[in-house]
Amino acid sequence: MKESLMEIIRCPMDKQELELEPIQESDDEVLEGRLVCTECGEEYPIEEGIPNLLPPDMRDDPPA
Amino acid sequence: MGLDARRDRDRVYQPAEDSDLLATAAREAASSTDRVLDVGTGSGYVAHEVAETGARAIGVDPNPHACREARDHGIETVRGDLTAPFAPDSFDLVTFNPPYLPTDPDDEADDWMGVALSGGETGRAVIEPFLADVGRVLAPSGHVLLLVSSLSDIDVVRERAAAAGFEASAVAEDSFPFEKLLILRLDPV
Repeated sequence: MKESLMEIIRCPMDKQELELEPIQESDDEVLEGRLVCTECGEEYPIEEGIPNLLPPDMRDDPPA
Repeated sequence: MGLDARRDRDRVYQPAEDSDLLATAAREAASSTDRVLDVGTGSGYVAHEVAETGARAIGVDPNPHACREARDHGIETVRGDLTAPFAPDSFDLVTFNPPYLPTDPDDEADDWMGVALSGGETGRAVIEPFLADVGRVLAPSGHVLLLVSSLSDIDVVRERAAAAGFEASAVAEDSFPFEKLLILRLDPV
């Protein structure tokens, strides 16, 4: 994901701002990392350049 | 076609007549300075067409395979549930080709293609929560383009949109042997 996405993404639970913790970056993108809610502390992974902002209860039980 | 691409065809909704109708309306509505959100972006087709106008198109989808496919098509992608992960007043245009097929409750969606197609018993199980939150993420002059099928009762969708604070107008339509498709433009009242 591009860092400029930070302006428009929020914690899906409480709509508060997120803090970006990059682990691996390339060119202008974060490929692996974490987004942490500044209010509730929930962590959302960034994998293969895609932030996963599903609420935790939807994250755990994916269909096949 | 490689194995991954073939597998994606079973798990990610691919562009069809409904996608084309929405993409055409979205291309006409978008301008180069717009920020656009394509909800349930699937393969990223509508978002990609919108991006042709120069607009910044972002796709959101709960399906990880769809997110990967849309990203491979050059779309900025977020894995998420409808408009839940976005900030207020963020988008000039929101497009959505929702799952709208009325589905028997005994025949619950148990795979990603089911999730992409099934609209619950009424066909409106995903449209209704979408309408409840989309106003929050629209910029003050923003609007929504929602694809609606006669299978999920267009009049009831219009009523739900009005209840959520939108004025609805049809901007495109197409008829098929078993359904009529409409693009509803929703403007906050």
